[in-house]
Amino acid sequence: MDLQKKLEILADSAKYDASCASSGSSRGGRGTGAAHQSGVCHSWTADGRCISLLKVLMTNDCIYDCAYCVNRRSSGAQRAALTPDEIAGLTFEFYKRNYIEGLFLSSGITVSPDRTMELILEAVRKLRKEFRFNGYVHMKVIPGASQELIDQAGLWADRVSVNIELPTDKSLRLLAPGKTKETVLKPMDRLARKIAAHKDERRSIKSSPAYAPAGQSTQLIIGATPETDREIIKLSEALYGKMALKRVYYSAFVPVMKDNRLPALTNPPLLREHRLYQADWLLRFYGFAADELLDERHPQLDLSFDPKTVWALNNLDKFPLEVNDADYEELLRVPGIGVTSAQRILRARRAGALALDDLKKLGVVMKRAVYFVTAGGRYAGIKKESEEAIKVKLLGHENPNGQLDLFSEGQLVQEGLAATVTGQL
Amino acid sequence: MRTWTYDGTFEGFLTALALALEGREECAVAREGAAEPGLFGDFAAAGADPERAAAVRGLFERRGSAESWHHARYAFLSEAPGAEDAVLAYARLIKEKGAAADDMLADARVKRVHALSASVAGEAHMFKGFVRFKELADGTLYSRIEPDHNVLPLLTGHFRARLGTFSWVIHDARRGRAALYLKGRLLYAPLTQAKALEFDGKEEQVQALWRHFFKTAAIKERTNPRLQRRNVPLKYRANLTEFE
Repeated sequence: MDLQKKLEILADSAKYDASCASSGSSRGGRGTGAAHQSGVCHSWTADGRCISLLKVLMTNDCIYDCAYCVNRRSSGAQRAALTPDEIAGLTFEFYKRNYIEGLFLSSGITVSPDRTMELILEAVRKLRKEFRFNGYVHMKVIPGASQELIDQAGLWADRVSVNIELPTDKSLRLLAPGKTKETVLKPMDRLARKIAAHKDERRSIKSSPAYAPAGQSTQLIIGATPETDREIIKLSEALYGKMALKRVYYSAFVPVMKDNRLPALTNPPLLREHRLYQADWLLRFYGFAADELLDERHPQLDLSFDPKTVWALNNLDKFPLEVNDADYEELLRVPGIGVTSAQRILRARRAGALALDDLKKLGVVMKRAVYFVTAGGRYAGIKKESEEAIKVKLLGHENPNGQLDLFSEGQLVQEGLAATVTGQL
Repeated sequence: MRTWTYDGTFEGFLTALALALEGREECAVAREGAAEPGLFGDFAAAGADPERAAAVRGLFERRGSAESWHHARYAFLSEAPGAEDAVLAYARLIKEKGAAADDMLADARVKRVHALSASVAGEAHMFKGFVRFKELADGTLYSRIEPDHNVLPLLTGHFRARLGTFSWVIHDARRGRAALYLKGRLLYAPLTQAKALEFDGKEEQVQALWRHFFKTAAIKERTNPRLQRRNVPLKYRANLTEFE
C-alpha cells in the first residue's frame, strides 16, 4: 500500500476526534519548530472545522469492538498502519511547509495496549530526537497500557488525552465491551497527578523537564447513548475540577456504523453539541456551576435559547443590572455580554459613566442585552418584563420575517450549523 | 488646510505626524500620491527626520503607554484609507489626555485606531496559519501571500523562531515586497515578479499528500461551506496549497 492510501485510511479514521487545539504550550529552542501559546489554525475543512494538527492514527487495526467506532474489530474497514518513521517524516515535511502546528497521534489498539503505546511513543521520540522537532504534539494515551509507558507520554507530548467517549459506565459496558469507566479514569488520574507534580517541581527548579505543558483533554460522544445534558455537564465540571482537565470536547455522534444498540439518527445532533459547548464555556470562563444551568426538573439544555439566556430568564429578579456599578462576575452573566465586552465595560468606566448607546460600541450584543441592563438608570427593554415576554422578543429577533414560531426547527438548526464549535456566547 | 505627505515608510509617517502636531492649525497626513491636492489644498513633503520621528514615538510611549504605541504602529500597518488621519487624531487625544485616552473605548477616535490595530493583529495571526511554503530546488522555502494589511513585518519573528534552520522567503505579491531569511539573516527587498520557480523533486508529492489529507479530514455529515468560508475567506484561497 502506498503512503497516500495509508494516510487516507488513517486520517479518515482519526477525524471523529474533535480535538484540534494547538494552544497552551510555548515550546521552542534549537532545532525546528515552536509552539504558539494561543494556538494557530492553518486551514478549515469543508465541515468548517479547524485544521491545526496532522491528525492520524498509527493504525486502525483494533482488538476492541466498540459499537460506535469506525475501527471496531468486526467492521469490514480496510486496515492500514504507518511506521514511526513515516509518521515522523510526514509531520516534519508538513510542518516545514507550514501546513500544520504539529502532530495529533492516536491509534487503534493493535496487539495489546502496551504494544500500541510503545509504537506511539517511538514515533514521537523519533520526531523529537531525530528531527529535533519542537512543534506541538498531542498524544493519545492508551487505556490499559502499563503505568511506566503512560508516564513517558507527558515527557514527549505537549498535550495528552484519554477519551472517555461515553459518559456513564452503563453505556460503556453496553457499547464498548472491554472498556470500563475504571480503565479510562485510571490513566487520566495518573496523568493529572504527574502534570501537577511536574508543575510544582518546575516552580522551584526551572531546569526540570516540562511534562505535558498544555495539559490534558478528553472527548465525549453526544447522542449515541441516553445520558442527559445534566449528566454530561456535571461530568465535565468534575473533570475540570478534580482532574484539572484543560478541555472536554463534545462530538456529535455520526452514525457511521449500523448496530442495533445504537440510535437510528439521520443527522448528527449538531445543535445539541453546540449548546453543550456553550454550557462548557459558562463553566470555564463565566463562573457558572453546572447546578445553576440544569437541575433534576430541567435535565436537558434548551435548544431554542443559549444556556446563559435560559439562566437569566430564570433569574429575572437579578436584572436589570446597572452596567456602571456591576462587577465583572455580574457583567459576565448578562446575555449579550462576553468576556471581551465585560472587560471593555470595566475599562471604559474608568474614563467616565456609560450610557446605553456606548454599550454597542463596546461590543455588547444589545439585541440580547437590552432586556437585562440599565445604564445610568435608563432601561430600553420592555416595560413589564416577564420571562415569556422576553422569550417572545428574543425569538422575534432570530426570525427575520418577524413571525413567531417557537417550534421552527429549521431556523434553529440553521443557527447551530452556522455557529462555530467554539461555543462562544 | 495643509497636508503633510510622506514617502510610505514608517519613519516618514512619524515625521509627518510630528509636523502636523507642531502646527497650530488643522493638518492632515497622507501618503505621497495617495491624495490629490485640491483647489485650496496645500501639500508639503514631510521627508524623514529621525529626531521628529523619535519625538512622536516618545509621545505615544511616555505620554501614552506601550499600548498606545502598539496601536499606533499597527494602525499604520493597516494601510486602510484614512488610517493616517485616524492616528493623527488619536495622537492629539493622547497629547491631551495621556494614557487615559486608551480607556475611552466608546470615543470614536480611540475606537477607530483600536479597531484598525485589532484588524491588523487579527490578519497577522491568520497568516501565521495561512503562509504556505514550497520547497525550491536549492532547499529554500518560498511562500506567496496577498494580505489586505501590511502584515509581513509581523510574521518574520514567528517564522524565524520556527524555521530558523531553513532559508525562506515570504513574498507579499500585493505590495511587491519580500522578507528574505537567508543563512540566518533577515532582510526586506522589493520583489515584483518572482522568476519562474524551480521546485524540489519531492515538492509535488508532499503537496498531493497534504491535499489528500485535507479532503479526507472533513466529515461528510457535517458539511458546512458557510462556516468554512467565514474561516477561510475566498480572497485568501489562491495562495493556499489545499485550495489550489
